[in-house]
Amino acid sequence: MYKYDDFDRTFVAERVAHYRAQTERYLDGKLSEDEFLQLRLRNGLYVQRLAPMLRVAVPYGTLSADQLRMLAHIARRYDRGYGHLSTRQNMQFNWPELAEVPDILEDLASVEMHAIQTSGNCIRNTTTDEFAGAAADEIVDARPYCELIRQWSTNHPEFDWLPRKFKIAVTGAQEDRAAIAVHDIGIQARHDDNGDVVFDFYVGGGLGRTPVIGPLIREGLPVAHLLTYLEAVMRVYNRYGRRDNKYKARIKILVRAMGADGFQSRVDEEWAHIKDSASTVSESEMERLIAAFAPPTFVTLVEEDNLESQRLEHPQFSHWLHHNVVPHKRKGYAIVTLSTKATGVPPGDVSDEQMDAVAGWADAYSFGELRISHEQNFVLPHVPRGKLFELWQAATEADLGTANAGLLTDMICCPGGDYCSLANAKSIPVAEAIQRRFDNYDYVHDLGNLDINISGCMNACGHHHVGHIGILGVDKKGEEFYQISLGGHSGHSSTAAALGQIIGPSFARNEVPDVIARILDVYVDNRHNEESFLHCFQRIGLDPFKERIYGNGN
Amino acid sequence: MATVIKQTPDGWTIDQDGSALDWKSAEDWQPGEALRLAGDEEPNPEFSSASAIAIDFPAFNDGRGLSLAVLLRTRYQFTGELRACGDVHEDITHYMVRCGFDSMEISDERNPQTALSALFPYSALYQASVTQPEPAYRRVNRGV
Ligand code: SF4
Repeated sequence: MYKYDDFDRTFVAERVAHYRAQTERYLDGKLSEDEFLQLRLRNGLYVQRLAPMLRVAVPYGTLSADQLRMLAHIARRYDRGYGHLSTRQNMQFNWPELAEVPDILEDLASVEMHAIQTSGNCIRNTTTDEFAGAAADEIVDARPYCELIRQWSTNHPEFDWLPRKFKIAVTGAQEDRAAIAVHDIGIQARHDDNGDVVFDFYVGGGLGRTPVIGPLIREGLPVAHLLTYLEAVMRVYNRYGRRDNKYKARIKILVRAMGADGFQSRVDEEWAHIKDSASTVSESEMERLIAAFAPPTFVTLVEEDNLESQRLEHPQFSHWLHHNVVPHKRKGYAIVTLSTKATGVPPGDVSDEQMDAVAGWADAYSFGELRISHEQNFVLPHVPRGKLFELWQAATEADLGTANAGLLTDMICCPGGDYCSLANAKSIPVAEAIQRRFDNYDYVHDLGNLDINISGCMNACGHHHVGHIGILGVDKKGEEFYQISLGGHSGHSSTAAALGQIIGPSFARNEVPDVIARILDVYVDNRHNEESFLHCFQRIGLDPFKERIYGNGN
Repeated sequence: MATVIKQTPDGWTIDQDGSALDWKSAEDWQPGEALRLAGDEEPNPEFSSASAIAIDFPAFNDGRGLSLAVLLRTRYQFTGELRACGDVHEDITHYMVRCGFDSMEISDERNPQTALSALFPYSALYQASVTQPEPAYRRVNRGV
């Protein structure tokens, strides 16, 4: 993992002091509500329906056991004993006091963390594959490049006041777990024919009101040019992105207005001027960052034979191995997903005790390292296979051992109307009603991989457009309704990303579980052998689902 | 009358008669005169002959003027006085300095002393900028 040097420590300390002074000026009445809003947003502080919400940055979703212990401490000391894992791999606290935020930031700084640029119209936390550095299908470990981007984008003098928020995602694996097609900039890292790392740039994807799959605008960019090319894209966006209408201010609208080709030539023109400037990435800097993410000291492990007997004895453990454990690049190790989606708990919510427990397991089983996934779960990236049973038992005890990673009950869900002031509808109770309705493991297991994504409004924080089943909260004459779409997904090595298609008129909250049941019936009736929900949908289309739900008349 | 703060050989100070320049808009401007630009103006190589250039910030959270300043300084080699005007907020001035502004017009509602004290809140800066043309990895030894 990356460790701060004196330079990073100095910067973060200066940032905390700066923000503390700004908070004091606000509390003294020297900054207006509006002025302070812009400043606090750049430090991750929203004012929500019930209280302020502080979003702590977890750069590219990677954190250490000690950092997680600090988050547990913050949950206890400044909040109500829990935190929330966001779909952008960050941690949110729902109940901090505005005046205490500078103290929280100081606590975070003591473990090399911060909340910088986790909101506001600036470059946000760069996200990546939660299995980076561990996945068996990895080509390039994306984390050193994410860290390079983090440092470059932090407090950038020119790009901190953009038309709108800006999200960058990088992946270096065959399967895209970072959803790069639906980001402002999505970067695929790979090797060129000489074995050198290069990047493909997709620009102008995004969800929200106008969901778009980002077009490819540059192929095979060498590492040396990563920052100058980003600078060129950002400068074109900062200068020409719309500022008159916040719903048309994302870069996707600019790319569409200029056309992908027009946008690309504009960027190339800009880039030609700065391509070989001092911001060219130096080899020594890249070496430093790659060394910071050197693999832990894996040992050669003999394959554990008692996994099979443990499986036979404990069917739940067997289910968990099947869904929550994926292959590691190193023989004898495995990657474990600790699901936060136990029935009755808001997806992504974790208590301080759970955080402490996860930190303990990270120390005991995973070289002190862990991840937050964009599906709002914890990941232990490097667990010896021989320790899986022990870990499963402990996780089950702490309510983090649900065997549902990737299944129907592992829903992505935004905070929605329970917390968020922008919401049209609640989302957490919908997730819970679905979990309660589908509480039969065998049925859920039989359905196989199925992503249900729920957003409380068009801002799409729950990524409903790319859920196999997407649920969107809408407002109908002051009442909460839910629009359902089918067939969305964020892309895999074999299929390009696709946006879900809306099935028809929306439903009242209490109808949603039944509608989902009927959708699943159509799938079960139509699937061929092992065909997944998504593939079945792609083959049979929307009509059979429509018919079953609305009848022939509609 | 707004107050102007300005970089001088002795550091940043309040400039008493700074607002006296005769600014021209891009259409009326002749080489050698003082030029006042909107943030979304296209820069032009001729501009480098201006006696001074002012860039207008219609709102303090509108970052277009920052990019325009960078272009004037780095691409068009403008070396004269570059002034930020309009909604110049003391919490944005530290970005402005790094983008090449060496003069700022502070409106009457704001305190020029506060603005002067807010210009350099950071010593550790990661990126290259107009005032520091190399990124940290070229100017600082970052070996741990
Ligand atoms: S999708 Fe809407 S309701 Fe949900 S968190 Fe985002 S803004 Fe709030």
